[in-house]
Amino acid sequence: MWIVGALIGLAPMVFHGAADACAVCLNGAGGARLTDAFNWSVLFLMAMPYTILFSVIGFFFYSYRRAAKKARGETEKGTPLRLAWIHKESGR
Amino acid sequence: MASEAIARKVVEPALPAFGGGEPPDRPAALSQPLVSNARLALLMLIAAETMFFSGLIGAFIVFRVASQAWPPPFQPRLPVGVTAVNTVILLLSGVAAHLARRAARAGKSALLQRWLSITVALGTVFLAVQGYEWLRLIRYGLKLSSGVYGATFYTLIGCHGAHVLGGTLWLLVVLAQARKGRFTEHDYAGVQLCAMYWTFVVALWPILYGLVYLY
Repeated sequence: MWIVGALIGLAPMVFHGAADACAVCLNGAGGARLTDAFNWSVLFLMAMPYTILFSVIGFFFYSYRRAAKKARGETEKGTPLRLAWIHKESGR
Repeated sequence: MASEAIARKVVEPALPAFGGGEPPDRPAALSQPLVSNARLALLMLIAAETMFFSGLIGAFIVFRVASQAWPPPFQPRLPVGVTAVNTVILLLSGVAAHLARRAARAGKSALLQRWLSITVALGTVFLAVQGYEWLRLIRYGLKLSSGVYGATFYTLIGCHGAHVLGGTLWLLVVLAQARKGRFTEHDYAGVQLCAMYWTFVVALWPILYGLVYLY
């Protein structure tokens, strides 16, 4: 029984020519040029979601840095911390 | 002597300005959301649009790389020179949109209206030149039905043209709002969102130009 199972399992490897009917198995269907075309297209489409994701993360990071910088600037401008210097400089 | 030292300690605490207690609260700017809901929604729209154009570009790559000769024989050549000038016009409109956003942030209403008008004018010029070139190409025999060359060209460039048209209409609405004094230095989200969308449309064009016209 297991021999029949192994033969069925190995059949696609032995008779791989039958797999040419698959929509994405282009070997022999249109030549190397068409295969290259599909490969480049697939690579491009595969990279795009990651590019978008990292762009959005970069935008959030930039927004955070800008907001933090702005908040720091406001803190230095108008908080009681400055009073400490005034107190020190007052000569007490 | 000892009592004098103790008295000095009492009179001069380590942090005289605060007078004890907890340090000041976190600044309010950090407790607010970094990106507003409207900007987040527009980011999602732009991400979806990017994937839409990626699909079209992917299809174009398949046809372009698989083709033996591009453009195919007996098909008209695309107007590379005129479109290069048109590319510069669209890029300048992107700069104008950026300056409009800066003017809105500074609360300069007159300057905002001027830069928005310039952006609309440049976008309209881009569309007019594209339309004229399309009419010429159709007259020379390049149609949507004349094979993959015409189909990919009109689909890709046409979709971008539709986005430029949409962006120009949006800019016109924002310009009308700016003339009514809708925007202030604290409330200019409309300008910001429109400028973001326009930047996307402008940034996309050089990629399409390089791919469709030059490659």
